[in-house]
Amino acid sequence: MSVLELRGVSKRFGGIVVADDIMLDLQAGQILGLIGPNGAGKTSLFNLISGIFPTDTGEILVAGVRIGAMRVHQRARMGIARTWQNMRLFQTMTVLENMVVAPRDYAGESLLRLCLRPGTVRQADAEACDRALGILERMQLAHLADSSVTDLPFGQQKLVGLARALMNDGPCLLLDEPMAGVEGQSYETMRAVVREEAARGRAVCVVEHNISFIRDLCTSAVFMANGRILERGGIADLLASKTLAELYFGA
Amino acid sequence: MDYVFSILILVGIYIVLAASFNLIIGRAGLASIAHPIFFALGAYTAALLAIHFGLNPVLATLAGAVVAAVFSLMISLPSLRISGDYLMITSIGFQLGLLQVIKNIEITGSQGGLSNIPTPIAGPERGAVFSIIALAAAAGTVLLIRWIVRGPYGRAINAMRDDELAFIALGRDATRIKIAIFAVGCGLAGVAGGIYAFYFQYLTPEQYEILASGTMLTMVVVGGMGSTWGPVVGALMLVALPQAITFLQLPPSYMAPVQGMIFTLLVILFLFLKPQGLVSPEPPAPLAHRRAGRV
Repeated sequence: MSVLELRGVSKRFGGIVVADDIMLDLQAGQILGLIGPNGAGKTSLFNLISGIFPTDTGEILVAGVRIGAMRVHQRARMGIARTWQNMRLFQTMTVLENMVVAPRDYAGESLLRLCLRPGTVRQADAEACDRALGILERMQLAHLADSSVTDLPFGQQKLVGLARALMNDGPCLLLDEPMAGVEGQSYETMRAVVREEAARGRAVCVVEHNISFIRDLCTSAVFMANGRILERGGIADLLASKTLAELYFGA
Repeated sequence: MDYVFSILILVGIYIVLAASFNLIIGRAGLASIAHPIFFALGAYTAALLAIHFGLNPVLATLAGAVVAAVFSLMISLPSLRISGDYLMITSIGFQLGLLQVIKNIEITGSQGGLSNIPTPIAGPERGAVFSIIALAAAAGTVLLIRWIVRGPYGRAINAMRDDELAFIALGRDATRIKIAIFAVGCGLAGVAGGIYAFYFQYLTPEQYEILASGTMLTMVVVGGMGSTWGPVVGALMLVALPQAITFLQLPPSYMAPVQGMIFTLLVILFLFLKPQGLVSPEPPAPLAHRRAGRV
């Protein structure tokens, strides 16, 4: 069964069409590349999926459940994890604190639960801490757990953004330009972790301008421009496509 | 001696007000300045219940807190859609509007204020007992807020204040958190109102004007936005200062302007020289975890 399905999703802001009858079907274990020029509507599509804007028409389903009427946090709890182009880390907090508030179900979020069952909250907190450290160890960042996120170099901040998203153990992972500005060791780690997550059964969708990353990672891709999917298919075919070359590099 | 007690009581009440206001505006970053109206709601509710139904003062004060907390929904629900400057303007409108109601209906004593509030304690020890009550309420408030902000809930509040969009996209319900913070903060202001009503036995609407918002805001800014002990320092200073000025024995006509100038000067000086206030926010309790680096 598909993890994430978009059926005829459309959205316009005034005269600007950011999504025009988008059909998408994401399977568990798949890494789908979402490519296209700036302004194509790639990030907007992520925002529609995570519920930041409502869709005009069409349906979005996660594991067969319609999520169109759900609010942003409810969709995240359905298992849509995402990262952001500009990371959006919690600036006053440490790496570990950024991650501990990020599980699908955060026990400390309810003042009532905190008052009535402090023991369970403490235990859930400790478990989240352990999970967070496990993820950080996979990324070779465990030694930075107590560092303030603003003290980290850019590439590591990007990794923390991914690490925080992974605290959501849901079936669907949306990555918005994970590689922009990332080089060297961080690049290798990012690639390895995304691959591992897919191998563990997550459906991953990556918006990325770095074509070599897309080629490395994705088995299939869709090509978007002006809010429409122009082509889709195997990564090699797509990269060889004329439409793509024209839109990216000019005819 | 009564003079000292009444100052201690005011200090206690203002610590409750400044600390709860600091939770809302300093910790959670929710820019409401309508805090005095919740102080008023607590005070008038407790007073009216005592006058008309002879309700026990403790229960009346708790009822005042509940009413203040329920009315806080009128700020917290709009704050789900609006924030920043717009929330501030909405909160001013709410404060002034409700104040007009208090000034113009009979049951609250209209412009003239509400008097003849029964006192639960009479006799020579009255001042001492109320001082203990007010200071205990202050200590309770500071410790309660400290417990809230240092734990998992405080971590969520910090994250929400840092980046609300990222926060909700993780599955966190920012709406519920804002409603809860407003309810707790405003409920505490309601408690302060009840204590005030039963000690001073007289309420006037002028006490809850924008000027009072300014005073509470000054306490929070001078003490240190978002810090645990800052509001205590701020409340102490701002209650003590007007009293200290009276010792200068200035002619009465100079008193109010001098006090106003000193308050204004304080805020300006602090915003320029020490924007973090006298007490810096303490970091949340460090996350205890097994030693990192276990390979």
